[in-house]
Amino acid sequence: MTLADYKYADMIHRCFRCGYCKFPVNWMDVNSCPAYARFRMETYSCGGRLWLTRAWLSDEIEWTEHLAQILYTCTACKNCEEKCPLSFNVDILNMIVAAKAEMVERGLVPSAVKEFLENIERHGNPYGTARARRGEWTEGSEIEQYQGQEFLYYVGCVGSYDTRAQETARTLGRVLTRSGVSFGVLGSEENCDGNEVNTLGEEALFEMLAEDNVRKFKELGVTRVVALSPHSYNAMKNEYPRFDGTFTSFHYTQLLRDLIIGEKLDVSGGFSASVTYHDPCFLGRWNGEYEAPRRVLRSIPGVELVEMEKNRAGALCCGGGGGNFYTDFLGGSESSPARTRVREASATGASVLAVACPNCMTMLEDAVKAEGLEDSLAVKDVAEIVAAACGTA
Amino acid sequence: MDVVVCVKRVPDASGMDALVIDASRKDIERRTLVAKINDWDEYALEAAAQLKEKAGVSLTAVTVGPDEWDDVLRRALAMGADRAIRVDEDMLAADCHAVSTVLAALVRTLPHDLVLFGAQSEDFGSGQLGVMVAEMLGIPHAALVVSLEVGEGSVRVDRELEAGALESYAIELPALLTIQTGVNRPRYISVGGIRRAMKKDLQIMSVSELGLTAEMLAPQAVLERLETPPRGKEAELISGPPEETAERLVGILRNAGIL
Repeated sequence: MTLADYKYADMIHRCFRCGYCKFPVNWMDVNSCPAYARFRMETYSCGGRLWLTRAWLSDEIEWTEHLAQILYTCTACKNCEEKCPLSFNVDILNMIVAAKAEMVERGLVPSAVKEFLENIERHGNPYGTARARRGEWTEGSEIEQYQGQEFLYYVGCVGSYDTRAQETARTLGRVLTRSGVSFGVLGSEENCDGNEVNTLGEEALFEMLAEDNVRKFKELGVTRVVALSPHSYNAMKNEYPRFDGTFTSFHYTQLLRDLIIGEKLDVSGGFSASVTYHDPCFLGRWNGEYEAPRRVLRSIPGVELVEMEKNRAGALCCGGGGGNFYTDFLGGSESSPARTRVREASATGASVLAVACPNCMTMLEDAVKAEGLEDSLAVKDVAEIVAAACGTA
Repeated sequence: MDVVVCVKRVPDASGMDALVIDASRKDIERRTLVAKINDWDEYALEAAAQLKEKAGVSLTAVTVGPDEWDDVLRRALAMGADRAIRVDEDMLAADCHAVSTVLAALVRTLPHDLVLFGAQSEDFGSGQLGVMVAEMLGIPHAALVVSLEVGEGSVRVDRELEAGALESYAIELPALLTIQTGVNRPRYISVGGIRRAMKKDLQIMSVSELGLTAEMLAPQAVLERLETPPRGKEAELISGPPEETAERLVGILRNAGIL
């Protein structure tokens, strides 16, 4: 593909690198593009990536592994879209994803991305662990297989395989059971939702996953899905409709909010702590859901909710999006977004950093350890705080 | 220049804790495993695809196996092969001599200046196949090749020896090379690329079309049984606070003379 064939050929030149894409909503610094904050080089900001993409597609520069890594450090957090003042801002992330898609087509992705995609194609998860083991997280719990219950509880790859996120997945299962919600899981029959595959530019693999999931959900008669991960929620709510996925999708914090408001979930047991909430990109900026998790936390007696300076649409990404929780292009430094974010959380004086995404959970919990903050800051999922408050922890 | 690459389909055991030997004791339990192209063969294909990109190379990928093995040939086609041929014969239980007899007979029917194999397979791992085919074809070979550069009528190769030493040769063409991993960085093959490769022709042949008889494929080595190695000394699991476990680990490494 040349620049002329590129979907955004008539648009990409319009970025003149004003640099706004690096700022948070409140302009407090220039560190809100996670990759720019990590590497402190213009090329790692959205504007830099757009210029590099244009140069690559115009044959002004050659492809290198380094060029590919610069593109793949993008976590698809949408901070750039939030801040870009120009009319084409709705497409600036799409332009990066389209450039990644061209790298995918030419086979020129970084090795870690190749491994990530091949593992998903073969095993249905990025870790390369067998499909047969996807349901092991339910062992020892009372979580049932889906067989026509009101909700399909979709757990996703991280919740199914990551040891820490598995705890969250089981905890949410207990909370839903306690609330009398009728739900079931797919266990080893669950497949990857493909959200990351989509942001990595592997369009055909994403189609394959989406079609497989939609077909399976239809066969099972699924009408409502509650997702543990905002990544899954995003794919199912915004992308699956074009594959005829007509079910209604919820992020679990939205369901918990409704259960609490409807007095089906009793959180009067309380949770005494100062809590700061980290907005996951695929719940917040991607889907505009900032209130449901906060509403849940505020409804719990004893929770003192304090905000980080960067919150809601201005929240700093944990650095795990766009497959980076696996490919780790942003790790290995105190400037890694996850470490920056836990320092921001710690600065609030909160003793608990609440998350609502298994990717954020794994990224931020590792960062707390790397920062030596284990004694002062605990990373807990909103579901775990709710579980403590309703006596099912 | 005509390049032929031989590829194999193997089970991907990376997602399992352990392999299970099946009831016959002559194979592993494959039902729970997904299949993939042999790792070494992917490097061989990439080497061939890179040659093709540089100069006028015609690239043919071949394999011997039942119809589900078409998927590794589709991958080869997506990587740049012009032509793919499968000899329709399930030879999973056959010995290397029989498989190499089939492959040599097939390669003989094809124009071949350079024949590439992966250095070994991920499943049985004998590392013999390429070398045996070279002997049968009567062409020079080099095994465990870590770099190759094709010149006029010859190929310069580096072979990997012990302790990182390299052995360099100039070999006259036609020649056969078995390719070591790390020789290149195999490209990603997109699902879209594989879908497009589904539209390309894939040629199927039988062993009889190659003029081979059952006697010619009689095994010279017979697999008696597979078994897991006897359990060695039990590993020591060090647990406790990091400062204590680190100290204990340093002690163990010092006692072993490693530190």
